[in-house]
Amino acid sequence: MGQLLVMPKLGLTMTEGTIVEWFKKEGEEVKKGEKIFAVETSKLTNEVEAPAGGILRKIIHKDGKLQVLEPVGILAGADEDISDLISKAGSGKVKVDENQEVKEIDAKVEKEKPETSSKRIKASPKAKRLAKELGVNLSKVEGTGPGGAISEQDVENYQAEEKPKVKTSPTAKKVAENLGVDINKIEKSERIMKDDVVGYKNFQMLKEMADPKETREKMTNMRSVISERMSQSQKTSAGVNYNLTVDTREMKRLRDKLKPIKKITYTDIIVKVVSRVLLEFPILNSSVEGNEIIKRNYTNVGVAVALDEGLIVPVVKYANIKGLKTISEDIKELAEKARTNTLQPDEMTGGTFTVSNLGMFNIESFTPIINQPEVAILGINTIKETAVNVNGEVKFIPMMTLSLTADHRVVDGSVAAQFLNRLKEFIENPNILML
Amino acid sequence: MKILILGGGPGGYVSAIKAAQLGARVTLVEKKYIGGTCLNVGCIPTKVLLNTTDLYHTIKKDGEKIGIKAEDLSVDWQKLMERKTNITQSLVGGVEGVLASYGVEVIFGEGKFISKNQIEVLKDDDTKDTVDFDKAIIASGSKPVILPIPGIHGENILTSSQILSLEKLPESLCIVGGGVIGCEFASIFSRLGVKVTIIEMLPGIIQNMDQEVVQYLDFELRNVGVEILTNSKVEKFNPTSQGVEVTASTPEGEKKIKTEKVLLSIGRKAVVDNIGLEDIGIQFDRTIKVNKKFQTNISNIYAIGDCTGGVMLAHAASAQGMAAVENIMKNISRMDFKTVPYCVYTKPEVASVGLTEEQVKEKGIDYSVGKFPLMSNAKSLILGETEGMVKFIVDNSTDEILGMHMAGPKATELIVEGALALRLEATIDEILTTIHAHPTVGEALHEAAHGVHGYPIHLPKEI
Repeated sequence: MGQLLVMPKLGLTMTEGTIVEWFKKEGEEVKKGEKIFAVETSKLTNEVEAPAGGILRKIIHKDGKLQVLEPVGILAGADEDISDLISKAGSGKVKVDENQEVKEIDAKVEKEKPETSSKRIKASPKAKRLAKELGVNLSKVEGTGPGGAISEQDVENYQAEEKPKVKTSPTAKKVAENLGVDINKIEKSERIMKDDVVGYKNFQMLKEMADPKETREKMTNMRSVISERMSQSQKTSAGVNYNLTVDTREMKRLRDKLKPIKKITYTDIIVKVVSRVLLEFPILNSSVEGNEIIKRNYTNVGVAVALDEGLIVPVVKYANIKGLKTISEDIKELAEKARTNTLQPDEMTGGTFTVSNLGMFNIESFTPIINQPEVAILGINTIKETAVNVNGEVKFIPMMTLSLTADHRVVDGSVAAQFLNRLKEFIENPNILML
Repeated sequence: MKILILGGGPGGYVSAIKAAQLGARVTLVEKKYIGGTCLNVGCIPTKVLLNTTDLYHTIKKDGEKIGIKAEDLSVDWQKLMERKTNITQSLVGGVEGVLASYGVEVIFGEGKFISKNQIEVLKDDDTKDTVDFDKAIIASGSKPVILPIPGIHGENILTSSQILSLEKLPESLCIVGGGVIGCEFASIFSRLGVKVTIIEMLPGIIQNMDQEVVQYLDFELRNVGVEILTNSKVEKFNPTSQGVEVTASTPEGEKKIKTEKVLLSIGRKAVVDNIGLEDIGIQFDRTIKVNKKFQTNISNIYAIGDCTGGVMLAHAASAQGMAAVENIMKNISRMDFKTVPYCVYTKPEVASVGLTEEQVKEKGIDYSVGKFPLMSNAKSLILGETEGMVKFIVDNSTDEILGMHMAGPKATELIVEGALALRLEATIDEILTTIHAHPTVGEALHEAAHGVHGYPIHLPKEI
């Protein structure tokens, strides 16, 4: 009776294999159990034995990668008509009882246990026969017989240990039936009791109701840059957060007075103040490279701009010598360019300090992450009418918290605190800018 | 790890041995006697009396029938008391030996917590000892409830502990409270020829167990001459020259019972006084409050057994003690109260585990019942004790066994099959497919199981 030889399924997870060698030529006689061809998977190489005796009438695939159960050759009698089998083979994958094919025959494990594969496995004939019957890989069995030989008992023990055991109470089994629960899916090291089944079912029902879905999408370029930079920064810097609340009445007065002449924002004012104060605290305007600290006589202040797909930090170059009007116009123009994706590379680089404003989102305080290779970043928050004790009287004053993160590798606490206090001095009395 | 255990009863001494087995250094403080109420004035001595009673009563009542001729049959109360003492002493000695073998330090005296890590023991010789500990387990037990009834402190009014040391059998005994303890003493004394009257406030005796099986006991008690007054209440005790006159209000009006002795078996209350609970801030009212791990509100101090209320049974206390120790030593808890069996050592014995039919109804569970009367059980017939039955209660949705109840010979031994079934969440099918030996009383369990969805083998076809 002729039959198709197929790519064997050598393990539960195997989906394809590669034919590496045919031990027989077309037309050659094959005895039952004789090696006929070799298959390689990502895990192992295995020699396939002939399921019956006969003539290897046809080799359908000489080599190459094939799906499991795909026909590779035809084994039949010398004069048998194999045209039927040939046409069957042409139609692709053959329906074979899969379970029957899932056998791990004396597989030579290449990667998992190289030391045993090179050794000859000592096993009693009975053990060998049993291992074959049970589909047990002898190379994984520990022998307890003389000279480490594997006995029949060893194979049995191995098989018993490997078999997954689900211990359940009879009631749990019934409850599982009643509720339509596959009891094998319940993970528990101890005996499964009815409450476990009910708990599992309840969770399944909850899951069904919630209908949880996850989607996966590739990060945009911007997102992967942000992702990369933020985690890099957290690894590099030793950020410490400082908060200080300032009175914004004078800043508002300045903005309102300038309004008829030039519309400016609080961010503009703060960038101006920052670029001035940074010159007094050059360490907050520095960078670290190796064991050197780079200090500057200029300030390039980055202003974080939120976009739908992320954020970008265009840089106001040499802000220390720019007037409030120019700074305001720069920020406006850079933000516009950021939104229309027309920023030039040099407009996004070279920053020495960053300002990030979340005030419009009512944030009262946060802990910004330093934009590398800078050593500090200033977070600006919302302005809130706050009850303040003014000479024994409660007054409501519009206050704002400044959230500074500074890299403790170079900026010590006292320096960061002094810097924040100096900012406060300027914000509460912008007239100092005139000096 | 240094563990202190306060109380040497079946909760405390089991905890001590278990803790020592798991590697703790253990000190056990006991006020009076190792083994506690159970070994000395409870479970064990009463069963010694019961054993003699069973033999005596069987031969007296059925001697001729079973082929034993005995003339001048009588109970030697003195000898019985001696045997009782010997057995309790031998068991107490046995426990002391086990404790010693595990290196448990036993201090006799009254323990009182003075801090979260220290207890002061006032020893018998009036000296004081202070013991430091990392963890403590309170197993202070319980004592009989004494209600404020006029005349209750009279000399012939006894607690269960006192009645075990009577010098001779009384002529008559009035038992106040028809619970488990009251019924056990009623079964003993009535069969020894004492005129017994039970006064019970509730509508029947042993109200917490399945009433269908309890009725066999009720019948048998009345059969041997016990008068049972239900829905009745004691109003006062008056001393008389012959003993006590008990005045009770019954549904039939006021009744005066003249009796030589009175036994109070109204119930037991937790021992929570004079052990320093309030001094170190352990929460309690009538009982000590504990969580599922048996921890009190002070996390290194645990409490188990009768002093925590709930199920006041020796075997429950032992189980709780072992669970508390495992929580301390291994941080795992394994106490499943549903397998605690309830046993009444009377004739017939009554035993129960799991839910009663009354409870199943109340919970609204769809259930089936399988029953088998011992009248049709060969071994029961041989023993001459056919008054009784076996009853299984099964959940219809899964066939899970929810309860087993039994009255009859060996009921207290056989209940373990029900307890194990409950523990394993067995269905009635597991009882059906388990082969029960013949001839045994245990066969009745198999037959009752057949009755759940079909018919027992040894009962005629129902018409």
